[in-house]
Amino acid sequence: MRIRNAVLVALAIGAVMYFGLGLVFPREDLHISVKAEALVCIGGEMGYPGECKSGFPITNSLVTTVIVDLLLILMIVFGARNAQMVPRGFQNFVELVVGTFYDFAVGVDKKNVAKFFPFAATAFLLIILSNFIGLMPGAGSIGMCQPYAKAAAEGGEAEHHAANYYAERGWPLTCEPGELLVPFLRAPSADLNMTLALGLISVVLIQYFGLKALGWEYLVRFFNFREGPMFTVIGFIELISEVIRIVSFAFRLFGNIFAGEVVLVVLAHLFPYMLPLPFYAFEVFVAAMQAVIFSVLTLVFMSMATQAHGGHDDAEHGAAAH
Amino acid sequence: MTDEGLRFVAMALAIGLGAIGPGAGIGVVFSGALQAMGRNPEAEGMLRTYMFLGFALAEVPFILSLVFGLLIGFSII
Repeated sequence: MRIRNAVLVALAIGAVMYFGLGLVFPREDLHISVKAEALVCIGGEMGYPGECKSGFPITNSLVTTVIVDLLLILMIVFGARNAQMVPRGFQNFVELVVGTFYDFAVGVDKKNVAKFFPFAATAFLLIILSNFIGLMPGAGSIGMCQPYAKAAAEGGEAEHHAANYYAERGWPLTCEPGELLVPFLRAPSADLNMTLALGLISVVLIQYFGLKALGWEYLVRFFNFREGPMFTVIGFIELISEVIRIVSFAFRLFGNIFAGEVVLVVLAHLFPYMLPLPFYAFEVFVAAMQAVIFSVLTLVFMSMATQAHGGHDDAEHGAAAH
Repeated sequence: MTDEGLRFVAMALAIGLGAIGPGAGIGVVFSGALQAMGRNPEAEGMLRTYMFLGFALAEVPFILSLVFGLLIGFSII
């Protein structure tokens, strides 16, 4: 009974806010961009909003990446400066973060953890911080307005009417009619370039550690002509799966973070005041989870790459026995 | 139905149908890992490794369907 009343009160408050605040704050049209939008074009001119006709684009996700990098560098510099045996203050926090992840990495591969840990931990910190910055209020909603060339060209009577409608109620927070909002900040992981780069680095490092640990023997798992046609086919499949790993690393991160942003934007557009809250909490969870998944998968693949090929190992033992 | 509309339907079908199998598969992976961890807590570290490995392998079909869905939706193929 009490729960029902609470739900009813919440719904009533939501409805009042929906209709009351909806009169004050006009809503903009839904606009979702799959790729990161350009803010500035170095040595070129802007075309369609968020795109460069020519020149080198500085995208909003690049801006966020630089901010994340600076934050990470500052965090480590301030945390590791005057490192003491008994940590105090901020050093405590940094040691807690790094130490927790180190214990996790030891659980995956105890022998080679010193080699694998630097990249995995860097990727973990970078991804988790960039995801959280993408979820920060203001990221994706504060930006500059750029003229929407297509709408002006196709804009019929309805478009014109809507323009007047918004212009009359003009709140400084909305864009002029015929313009699109290009946010200053965008989660770096919601840009495919960033995740693809991370995936490429990760897979290249996996091959590097494999080659370093096993020498040329590492390639036997891909080009195995010694143990019959069956293993040749398996090696071929392994080679393909190595390439698919790049795609899966890149699209797992991109898909999760970008889909989360789209869900939040669409829900905020449908019902702006309370509905997005639980989804926001879920997106915070997903943001942390994806960082863990990326780094743990990197660790696991690296650990697998440094282990000798199973069938081949048996064959070696057999040869030694003979 | 226009060509563009058909493309959107195809994208939705590709992503939606592609999510069924991996969804069930990831559930099986994690449920199996949790059961094993409950029965044998000593092996948790090793099990976690293989759990994430199985998760990655089970998710590949969905990621492929996502990629192809995007490729179809943005009329790249």
